[in-house]
Amino acid sequence: MNDTKHHVIIGNCIAGTSAASTLRNFAPQDKITIIGDEDVPSYSRCLITYYLAGDVSRKHLLSHSRKWYSEKNIELNLKTRVVKVDTEKKKIRTENRKSFSYDKLLIATGSRPIFFPTIPSDANGIIGMRTYDDAKTLLKWSSPGKKALVVGAGFVGLKSAYALMKRGVSVRVVELLPNVLGRMADQEASRRIVERFKSSDLFEITLNTSVLGTEKDGNCYRAHLSNGEELAVDFIVMSVGVRTNVEILEDTDVEINRAILVDDTQRTSNADVFAAGDVCLSKELITGQMINNAIWPVAAAQGRVAAMNMLGLESKFDGNIVQNSVDFFGLWITALGDVQASGEGIEHKIYSTDVIYQKLVFKDGRLVGFMATGNVEFAGVLQALIKEKATWEDILANKYSRLIPVVATHA
Amino acid sequence: MKVIAFYPEKCDLCGKCEIACNEKIRNFRPEESPSAPHIRMFVSPLGPMARICHHCEDPPCVDACIGESLYINTEGSVCQDLDRCIGCFMCNMVCPHAAIVPTVSMKKALKCTIECGKGGLPACIIACDRGALVLEDDVNMMVKKTRRDRFKEIIKR
Repeated sequence: MNDTKHHVIIGNCIAGTSAASTLRNFAPQDKITIIGDEDVPSYSRCLITYYLAGDVSRKHLLSHSRKWYSEKNIELNLKTRVVKVDTEKKKIRTENRKSFSYDKLLIATGSRPIFFPTIPSDANGIIGMRTYDDAKTLLKWSSPGKKALVVGAGFVGLKSAYALMKRGVSVRVVELLPNVLGRMADQEASRRIVERFKSSDLFEITLNTSVLGTEKDGNCYRAHLSNGEELAVDFIVMSVGVRTNVEILEDTDVEINRAILVDDTQRTSNADVFAAGDVCLSKELITGQMINNAIWPVAAAQGRVAAMNMLGLESKFDGNIVQNSVDFFGLWITALGDVQASGEGIEHKIYSTDVIYQKLVFKDGRLVGFMATGNVEFAGVLQALIKEKATWEDILANKYSRLIPVVATHA
Repeated sequence: MKVIAFYPEKCDLCGKCEIACNEKIRNFRPEESPSAPHIRMFVSPLGPMARICHHCEDPPCVDACIGESLYINTEGSVCQDLDRCIGCFMCNMVCPHAAIVPTVSMKKALKCTIECGKGGLPACIIACDRGALVLEDDVNMMVKKTRRDRFKEIIKR
């Protein structure tokens, strides 16, 4: 019996490819198979809105050529949708009647946009923004003069709105919350971002409002809002959140609570099955809770950790904090940790000018959040301080701290 | 691999490294001038300090780079394909050493890539006549770890 193992990875985005390349580095002999349901090799999912906006080319977006896989001797199965995983027989069945056996399995299937029964997915005009295909479809629908409704002003919603506006589409964003970017921004940051968007005539936003339903009316869609308004638009982008792709594990011994439960080695409740990326939970370092921290850096690190443990090598994922960074029309925003905390034991330190807005959030004397717009430099330093559970004194003692406006002005 | 090591006790903040880095960028990569220099000295409560890339093992900036612009080169240094940078500043968000220069006017995040010294020494090291900046061979991960711990100590002190 030879001792080369067969590692199968379901999912061909960053968690999957980072795992595959780690596996190849540490186990040159083993067989590695990636199964993906899209028809292009791996690409950076975060770039699809940039692609839609015309900020990056198709060539830039589709960075992993087939050559990348063949050079690393990774078997790539595209357009292959897995329907069932049998963890007892260690077999995978796909829609096109292929079957794979594995020694170790990595689930990196990610998630998909949520639609509502009142706003169902529709190939003619209601879409989520998640894949290259979605971006291509939106690109086809977008032309100057068209009107679009974006439901949800979270990260994906605003980035899609931004991209559509760059294509000349008039965009109306409808958001249930009183602020944009969900947990990433407070009221003031939200105001500044909205103001920046509003510098264009193509943008309108309605906060504190939901979309009750939509109906098709000839070539357009009518949307009914909770404030009584009725909109007529050419197409609709749904960005109210995502649902994890865990259905293929139904009826197996892999524990799932909306997302896959893993330990700090990315192992699921089945010893031969691992999970990484948006599909699984990971530790949030401030509260210590397991959350679905679906961001690129976490997926990349988890893929690597999972791969090491699939090979029996020691590696742990320490957890991370909620974070993101983006720019809209030249206004950058970076948010780390809990920036919306309020109530007892919460203290804020704020620096605010016309251009810059920075905020430190302390909970019981420890730094738990940082948010900046206008000047986001040194955010990484504050990230390290949040992870160290720094006090105000610790922040002042940090070598970089006097260079950060919000710290310097309160020091 | 080679890394740029900084010995704060030898630094007297003369600024020659910054000037040299500036010059090098202006002459050889003029398109990057708005972000220059990629080494930045400053006075901290603890004395002279340098903002410069540590070329970490498992660099968080490479993980965070959604444009797949930052990468580890064959020598183990953290390098950058500038054309691929989309200016999201995710790398700036994760770098504990503040080594990345988010350059708003270029919509790019730039950093020191030791490649500036290809076939010789990086400009800042040639310029430093105090021995505060040294190109160290870092084949041995232990060296790197010691160096990082030392930096950590300095942060904490």
